[in-house]
Amino acid sequence: MFGMGAGVAPEDQLDRSQTRRVLRRVLRMAYPFRKTAYVSLGCVVVTTAATLAAPILVRHGIDAGIRANDVYELNLSVGLYLVITALAYGFGRLQYVFLNRTGEAFLRELRLKVFAAMQSQSMAFYDRNKAGVLVARMTADIETMGELIQWGLLQFLASGFLVVLAFAVLFTLSWELTLVVLIVFPVIVIASVKFQRDSNVAYLSVRERVGQNLGTLQEGIAAVRVIQAYAQEDHQIKRFQRSNRSLFDSHVRSIRISTWYFGLVEFSGVVAASLVVGIGGWLVHRDAVSLGTVVAFILLLSSLFDPVQQLSQLYNGVQSAAAALHKLFGILDSEPEIGEAPDAVDLPRRGVLEVNGVTFTYQAGTHPALKQAEIVVRDGERIALVGPTGAGKSTLAKLMARLYDPSIGSVSYGGTDLRRATLASLRERIVVVPQEGFLFNGTIRENVRLARITASDEEVEAALARLGILDHFERLPDGLDTEVRERGSRLSAGERQLVALGRAALVDPAVLVLDEATSNLDPGTEAEVEAALERLMQGRTTIVVAHRLTTVQRADRIVVVDKAQIVEVGSHAELLERNGKYAALARAWEKSHAL
Amino acid sequence: MTGTPLDPDAAAAAKGEAEEQARAQRNLGWHLLWKTLLEQKRALILGVAIGVTWTAAKVAVPQLTKHAIDRGIEQNGPLLAWSVFIAIAGVATGLLTAGRRYLAFRESRWTETLLRERIYAHIQRLHVAYHDKSQTGQLMSRASSDLQQVQQFVVMIPITLSNVAQLVAVTVILSLTDWRLAIVALAPLPFINVASRRFSSRIHPAVLAVQNEQAQLASVVEESVSGVRVVKGLGTEQVQFDKLRKEADDIQRVSLKAAGIRSRFLPAIDLLPSLGLIAVLGYGGHRVINGDMSIGDLVAFNVYLTMLVWPLRNIGMMVALGQRAAAALVRVHEVLSTEPAVKSPEKPRQLPPRTSATQTGAVRFESVHFGYDVDREILRGFDLAIAPGESVALVGATGSGKSTIVRLLLRFYDVTNGRITIDGVDVRRLDLGELRRNVGVVFEDTFLFNDSVRNNIAFSKPDAEQSIVERAARLAGAHDFINQLPDGYDTQIGERGYSLSGGQRQRVAIARAIVADPRVLVLDDATSAVDPSKEHEIRDAMRTVMSGRTTIVVAHRPGTIALADRIVLLDGGVVAAVGQHRDLIESSERYREVLAAWAVRDAESDAADGSGIAETRGSIAAPTGGD
Ligand SMILES: Nc1ncnc2c1ncn2[C@@H]1O[C@H](COP(=O)(O)OP(=O)(O)OP(=O)(O)O)[C@@H](O)[C@H]1O
Ligand SMILES: Nc1ncnc2c1ncn2[C@@H]1O[C@H](COP(=O)(O)OP(=O)(O)OP(=O)(O)O)[C@@H](O)[C@H]1O
Ligand SMILES: [Mg+2]
Ligand SMILES: [Mg+2]
Repeated sequence: MFGMGAGVAPEDQLDRSQTRRVLRRVLRMAYPFRKTAYVSLGCVVVTTAATLAAPILVRHGIDAGIRANDVYELNLSVGLYLVITALAYGFGRLQYVFLNRTGEAFLRELRLKVFAAMQSQSMAFYDRNKAGVLVARMTADIETMGELIQWGLLQFLASGFLVVLAFAVLFTLSWELTLVVLIVFPVIVIASVKFQRDSNVAYLSVRERVGQNLGTLQEGIAAVRVIQAYAQEDHQIKRFQRSNRSLFDSHVRSIRISTWYFGLVEFSGVVAASLVVGIGGWLVHRDAVSLGTVVAFILLLSSLFDPVQQLSQLYNGVQSAAAALHKLFGILDSEPEIGEAPDAVDLPRRGVLEVNGVTFTYQAGTHPALKQAEIVVRDGERIALVGPTGAGKSTLAKLMARLYDPSIGSVSYGGTDLRRATLASLRERIVVVPQEGFLFNGTIRENVRLARITASDEEVEAALARLGILDHFERLPDGLDTEVRERGSRLSAGERQLVALGRAALVDPAVLVLDEATSNLDPGTEAEVEAALERLMQGRTTIVVAHRLTTVQRADRIVVVDKAQIVEVGSHAELLERNGKYAALARAWEKSHAL
Repeated sequence: MTGTPLDPDAAAAAKGEAEEQARAQRNLGWHLLWKTLLEQKRALILGVAIGVTWTAAKVAVPQLTKHAIDRGIEQNGPLLAWSVFIAIAGVATGLLTAGRRYLAFRESRWTETLLRERIYAHIQRLHVAYHDKSQTGQLMSRASSDLQQVQQFVVMIPITLSNVAQLVAVTVILSLTDWRLAIVALAPLPFINVASRRFSSRIHPAVLAVQNEQAQLASVVEESVSGVRVVKGLGTEQVQFDKLRKEADDIQRVSLKAAGIRSRFLPAIDLLPSLGLIAVLGYGGHRVINGDMSIGDLVAFNVYLTMLVWPLRNIGMMVALGQRAAAALVRVHEVLSTEPAVKSPEKPRQLPPRTSATQTGAVRFESVHFGYDVDREILRGFDLAIAPGESVALVGATGSGKSTIVRLLLRFYDVTNGRITIDGVDVRRLDLGELRRNVGVVFEDTFLFNDSVRNNIAFSKPDAEQSIVERAARLAGAHDFINQLPDGYDTQIGERGYSLSGGQRQRVAIARAIVADPRVLVLDDATSAVDPSKEHEIRDAMRTVMSGRTTIVVAHRPGTIALADRIVLLDGGVVAAVGQHRDLIESSERYREVLAAWAVRDAESDAADGSGIAETRGSIAAPTGGD
C-alpha cells in the first residue's frame, strides 16, 4: 500500500510533460510484457465491475423482490449475487498472479539494465555519485517502482474507473440523491488532496530523519572502538538520543495530520448516510424514489469514498515512482564514459605503453590533476612514480590503466589507443592493485580468487606461495578459509594488503600497476613480496607508486611528479646527479633513515 | 533433528527442555515490553477508554439508520430527528476515531523510541570482542526493524481492544434483533478471522524472504560500488554482474511466491463478507416477505456485517503480529541482557595524580598472554616495562601482534594471563573511563565521523576551545591543509562529506589524540600514508608532543622509529630484542629482516664514500641470507 509510504521531495517533483515522457517510456519498456499486462487489466476491470454490481443487486432484491413480495425476483438477485462473488474471487486471484508476473519480470529487467549501465561508467562517474546514492538507485528507487508496477498503476485506473462508474450508476438510480451525495463528496476530495499534500511533507521529514537516525546508529556501531578508546560513550549516547527524539517528533507531526484526516473521513461517511436517509426518506414519502434505492445508496457510499481516498494516495505513489524512474533513466541514459568503441580491437600481447601529452581534470572547472604528461614505458620496464602528496601520481597511474580517459592527449599500448581497445583485452593486459586493498565479505580464498574467478584452489594457493605469504595465512586456525569479516576487520592491516597483493599474483598481466600497495607492510615482508613480484613480473612492465626509497631505487627509471606535472625522468643515479627535485626528495628520505 | 535418538525418553526430555527454554525467553521478552509499557500506562488506558466509547458510537449508527428507515420512512415518523441523531453519532465517531488513532500511534512510537535508546546505550558499552563477532547490519536491525515489529504490535493494542468490544456488541445486537438470521449471517465471518491469521503467518516469512533477498542485492551493489577500484582494476565486472543477476533472479522468485500466497488469501478475505450479505439478502428477504422482520432490520444487518469486516481482519492480524513481536522482543532482550565482559570494577582505584613534579605514565606488561581464539595465542608472555616519559618503538612483522598489544592496553580485551599496569595499577582495577582518558591511541585505520573537522579533532573534549584544536592540528601538521578546505575547520568530512586523502585523514586522527592530552600516547602505524617529506615535519612537532609523556610508537619506517628512546622487537608473541637501533642492527638478525635493514646498512657505509644513497639492487635480490 502506498499510503504513508510514498513521498516526493520538491526538487524531485516532475512537471507534467516530464511525467508524461517517463510514463510513455515505461510503457515502451513494458512492451515485451504486454500480453500478461492485458490479461491483468482485463481481470481488474471484471473485479471492479463485480464490486459495483453487488449493491445494485441488493436494490433489485429489495424493490422487486421483498417489497413486491416476489420470491422469484428475490431468489434471482441472490443467485446472481453468488455468481458475481464467485467471478470476483476467480478474477481477483488471476489479477494478483498476472500483475505480479508482469511486474517482477519488468523489475528484474530494470535491475539488470541499471546495474549494467552503472558498471559501464568510468571512475569519474563514481567520483560524482556517492556510494550511498548509487545503492539507493538500485534498491529504494526500484522498489518504489515495484510497488507502482505491481498494483499501483492498474489500481489507479481501477479506482478511477470505479468512481466514474459509481457515479453513473447512482445517477441512473436517482439524480436527486446523487446531488445529496455530491454535497459531502467534495469535502472528502478536498480533505484527501490536502491530506496527501501535508502527509507528503510530513512523510519526507520522517524519511529524512529515519535516514539520519540510521546513519547515526550505524556510525555509532562502526565507530564503537574509537568511541570506547576515547571514553566518549556518554556523549555519543546523548548525540543519538537527540537524533532519536527528533525522529519521534517528526512521527508525532505526521500522526497529527493523519489524525484529523481519518476523523473527518469517518465523520463525513456517517453524515452522508444521515443526509441520504433524511432526504431519501422524504423523497420516498413523495414516491420520487424507492426504498431499495435509498438502501443501495447507503451501501454504495463506501464504494464511492474508498476509491477517492485511494486515488489521492495512489496519485502520490505515481508521482514518487515517476520521480524514481526519472533518476533511473538518468543512469541508463548517461553515455558510458569507458565504453567499448564499435570498432574496438584487442590490445597486442606485448608493447610499449605510451602517454602522449595527457592533461586530465577530475571535475570541469577545477585545476587539472595532470598537465601535459609525456612518457614512454618500454616493454618490460620497471617504472617508479614518486612525488609529494597530491602531486598526481595515482592519477597518472589510473590513466595508464584507463580507469579514466584523458581530457586531452592519449594513452596507448603497443600502438593501440586504449580507448579503441576491447575492455576484455584491456583488463587482461593491464591490472591495477589500488591504494586501499578493499576486501569483500567472504573468506581469504574468495577474496584472492576475485582476480580470476575461474582459478582453482590450487592456483590460488600457488599464487600466494609464489609471493611467499601462503604459510602466513595457513597458520591461521581456518587457514585460507578464514572469514575476513566486514571490510577485512578480522585481519591485521598488513595482512589485508597481502590479500590484495595475492590477487595481483593470480593474474598474468602484461602491465601491472601497484599504487602504494605495500604501505602497511613491515619492510622485511615488503621486500620479500616485492622481490617475488619482481620475479613474477620478470620481463613484464611494472609501474609502482611508492613512498619508500628501497622500492624506488630498484626501478629502471623514476618518474618524478610534482604539482600535476612530470618534472624529472631518469634512473636513480642520473637523477641524483641532476641534483633536482628527486635529489631533494632522496635527501628527505635519507634523513628519515639516518638515526 | 539428526540421527535416531537411542533413548526416546531422553530425546523427548531434551525437546521439552528446549521448548521450556524458548518459552522462558519469550516470557523475558514480554516482560521487557511490559515494563516499558508500564511507564506509559496513563496514555494507554486513556486510549483504550476512548476506543471502547468509539465502539458504542459506531455501533449506534446502524441502529439509528434502522429506526430511521422503519419509523421515519416506512411509518412516516419523525424522519428529521432520526437523521440528526445519525449526524450527531457521526460527530462522535469522528472525534473518537481521531483520539484513538492519535494515542495509539503516539504511544507506540514512544515505546519504540525508548527501547531504541536503551539498545544504543547498551551497544556502546558492550566489549569489543562482542563487536568483533557481530555484524553491523544485525545490530542495526535490532534497533530498527525489530523495534518496528514491536511498534506495530503496540499500536494495535487499543485498536484491538475496541475491535473486540465492537465484535461483542454487534453480535449481541444482531442476535437480539433476529437470532436465526444472525446465525446465518455471521457464519462465514469467523473464516475471515481464520484466513487473516493464516495469511499473516504465511505471508510473513515470504515477505521476510523478499526483504532478505533485497538486502543481499543491496550488499552486492554496495560492494561493487565501494570496491569499484578493485572491480575495475582487476576487470571483474562480469563477476559482479553475475552475482547481481543471481540476486535479481532470487528476488523475482521469492516475490512471485509471496504473490502466490496473496492471491490465495486476499481475494477470499475480501469476498467472505459478501457471503454474509448474500445470506442476509436471501434468508432475511424471505423473512421480511413472511413478515418476520422489518426492512430496516435487513439494512441494519447489512451495515453491521460490513462493519465487522475490519475488526475481524485486525484481530486475525493481531495474533500474527503478536508472534512476530514476541520473536523480535526475544532478540532485543538477548542484546540487552548481554553483560559487557569488560567493565569497570566495583571499587575502582585511582591513578596517582599528574603533577609536574612527579613523572607519571609508567606502563608495565607482565608476562602477558593473549589470543583472540582459544586455539591460537598471539602473545605468549610479553614482558615490557616502560618508564614514565619514555618513548618506545614497537617493531614487528605483519600480524605479529603489535596492534593487539595496543588493544590490550586500552582494555578492549582482557589478558588471559599476566597483567598490564599503568603507574603500578592493574588496568583491570581502574575505572574504564579513567583508563581510556589516560591512554590516547591513533589507530592504524583512521575512522572519521560525519561531522566537522573541528568536532573530529575535539572528539575527546567536545567543549575544547578553538585555540586548543588549532594547536593540536598544527602539531599534527594538519593546520595548513585544513585552512585550505572550503569551510576551514567547519568543513564536514567523513563518508558523507568532503573526502580527504589517506595522509590527511591520518593527520586529523593524530590531532584528535593530541587534544585528548593523555598520560600515555600510542601511535599505531599512524603515518603510513603520509609522504616522507611531510612526515619529517610532523616528526619534529611530535617531539614536542612526546616530551614528558610516555609514548608507544608502532612503525615500520626507520625515521619514525628513531623518535623513540628504545626499540622493542616483537616476534613470536614475546619481546625478541630491546635496545637502540644501532645495536639492534648489529646484534639482531630478526630485526634486520623485519626492517629490511641490509639496505640501510649498505647506505650508511656507502654514505662514507660520498655518493649519498647506495645502489642497492644487488643486495635486495638475495633477501634474508642465512636464516
Ligand atoms: N576522485 C577525485 N576527484 C577530484 N579530485 C581528485 C580525485 N582524486 C584526486 N584528486 C585530486 O587530484 C590531485 C592529485 O591526486 P592524486 O591522488 O593523483 O595524488 P597522489 O600524488 O597520488 O597523492 P598521494 O601520495 O597522497 O596518494 C589532488 O589534488 C587530489 O586532491
Ligand atoms: N579481531 C580479531 N579476531 C581474531 N584474530 C585477530 C583479530 N585481530 C587480529 N587478529 C589476528 O591476530 C594477529 C595479530 O594481529 P595484529 O593486528 O595485532 O597485527 P599487527 O602486528 O598489528 O600487524 P600489522 O603490522 O599488519 O598491523 C594477526 O594474525 C591477525 O590475523
Ligand atoms: Mg596516491
Ligand atoms: Mg597493526
